[in-house]
Amino acid sequence: MKTLRLAIFIVVALVHVSVPASVMWNRERTLRHGRVWKFRTAPVDPVDAIRGRYIALRFAAEIAPPQVEVSDRSIKPDTLVYVSLKEDADGFAQIDQISETVLRGDNIVTAETGYWAQNAPRVHFPFDRYWVTEKNAAAAERAYIENSREQKQNAYVTVRVRDGDATLEQLYIDGQPLPEYLRAHPPK
Amino acid sequence: MARVNRRAVRWLRGELPDLVASGTVTPEAADAIRRHYDSRESSQANFGFVLLAIVGSVLIGAGVILLIAHNWDELSRPLRSTIALAPLIGAEVLGVFVLLRRDESPSWRESVAICIVATLGTAISLISQTYQIQGSFADFMCLWMLLSLPIVYLFRTTVGAVAYVIGTVTWLFAKAGWRFNDPAELCFWLLLLAIVPYYILLLRRDRASAAPTFLSILLVAATAIGLGCTAELTRANLGGVAYAGLFTSIYLCGMRFFPRGEGQRLHPLSLVGGLGIGVTAIVLSFEWMWHLPIASMWSMHGAPQAIGIAVELFFPAVAVALLAWIYGKRQKTAFSIAAAIMPLVAGLALLIANLAPPETRGDDSAYSMAAAIIFNVYALALGIELIARSVRANSVARANFGLLIIAALAMCRFFDSDLGFVTRGLGFIIVGVGFLVANVIFFKKRKGAA
Repeated sequence: MKTLRLAIFIVVALVHVSVPASVMWNRERTLRHGRVWKFRTAPVDPVDAIRGRYIALRFAAEIAPPQVEVSDRSIKPDTLVYVSLKEDADGFAQIDQISETVLRGDNIVTAETGYWAQNAPRVHFPFDRYWVTEKNAAAAERAYIENSREQKQNAYVTVRVRDGDATLEQLYIDGQPLPEYLRAHPPK
Repeated sequence: MARVNRRAVRWLRGELPDLVASGTVTPEAADAIRRHYDSRESSQANFGFVLLAIVGSVLIGAGVILLIAHNWDELSRPLRSTIALAPLIGAEVLGVFVLLRRDESPSWRESVAICIVATLGTAISLISQTYQIQGSFADFMCLWMLLSLPIVYLFRTTVGAVAYVIGTVTWLFAKAGWRFNDPAELCFWLLLLAIVPYYILLLRRDRASAAPTFLSILLVAATAIGLGCTAELTRANLGGVAYAGLFTSIYLCGMRFFPRGEGQRLHPLSLVGGLGIGVTAIVLSFEWMWHLPIASMWSMHGAPQAIGIAVELFFPAVAVALLAWIYGKRQKTAFSIAAAIMPLVAGLALLIANLAPPETRGDDSAYSMAAAIIFNVYALALGIELIARSVRANSVARANFGLLIIAALAMCRFFDSDLGFVTRGLGFIIVGVGFLVANVIFFKKRKGAA
């Protein structure tokens, strides 16, 4: 009985360690070998930008361009869809195709649909939170809000995509990774 | 080995000199009994030390993580992940040691189990932040609780079970706050059900100790919260009947499985059930509780709604089955008949309220008034029966609870009806005099008995 309990515990302990470890392994592979996509952030409501320890991101690419291809014109809100990405003239990601059927590749991310805007549903990408350390939270919030306004849109994130797995890599403010930007612009 | 009931041991120690003097036990036997309980108590006292050691080590661990977190940004991602995983691996290794060498010690098992659960949560959240893993707080709680559940069974840990129940309720709150009308909230019942076998094992092992009592009360609280969320999701107008069933089941379980003598204090489970019955009776005495609006767009439909309705009806069904079982077995279980029939009364009131034409079912009608009157009469009968029982048992607390129900009922009716000031004033005076007279009678009776 004791041996059985011990054996079960060892299996449980392996599951405990393997759950975070597998996340770590998959994300490391995506971050090392995935294709880099740049997503320009959309202007934010300053009140709604930071929630505790993460920045709530909104992207310009959530609204599809007019020439987008949509597999089904009756896609409802809250549907899981496969979004194929392409780069615009400035090198930022934009939606090329929205499909309810499975698509594969380093340009495919899953997303959830919102309400329809013009010719396609709005989509919500599954990487809309950028976690920051407690030390940097206030400064990061200020920097992000200042650079994500209607008058000044100077922030973007890089996302690595590998075979459907999308991982948020870095938040760039004024062309610099967030930690570097904060070092260069210390709070007064 | 069951835990030592310290109060009983103290009493036994006090009795030993008399028992030796009367020749009932030999002095050697008395010494042996003393030694036996000394060793049992000292093993329990170790629990305090181990608990302090665990709290200390957890604090040191948290301090180290905070120190590292100070320079978190400077560390590479794999290094951060290793730091996040190290305490979990350490706790799991300690878990193997405890199962091999300290399995008989409840204090070791409880402490290491909590350590594993805490380090598991820390590892998942730190790695999620390091790799910018998205997903809601509810998803995190669900994963954490599911991974922690086997620990409760493997280490037979009541503290772990308590943490698990609190975790499932936290998950439910997070889920309910995330979006409206999410049928996934019904999974709460599966999560809660998963801990029930452990609770039953605990009851079988040591029913008299404080641990199962505490877990019982926590489970009642979790069930009451879950039932509220399910009623809100389902919108089938069964909330009142469901709560009546829940508290009656708890009351009957307490009275049947933890029986106490007439003059003794009720078991906490019976007490919680009784209080729940009193509060539910007062709440259901308001007429607006019997307005039965038609399901709105916010309610669930189809299979999830059917599951929600089944959950709501489960509790009154259990209460009625328990009542029938107690009667069928003709066992001597002393309980309040008025309290036990609340689900039936609630069912009757619901039936009457449902007779209203569909267009007036959501508003005041003769039917909703009739249902409310039934519950007013019921609450009054409940209060009177409690007072009558308290006289038999010579229990001041029970008499005051009966009077409290009547007073609450009077207060509610005075504030939500159109009675004049004189009538209200007279009503309050009558109830107040009732309180005073009852207490004077009880104290005199008690003095006389002493």
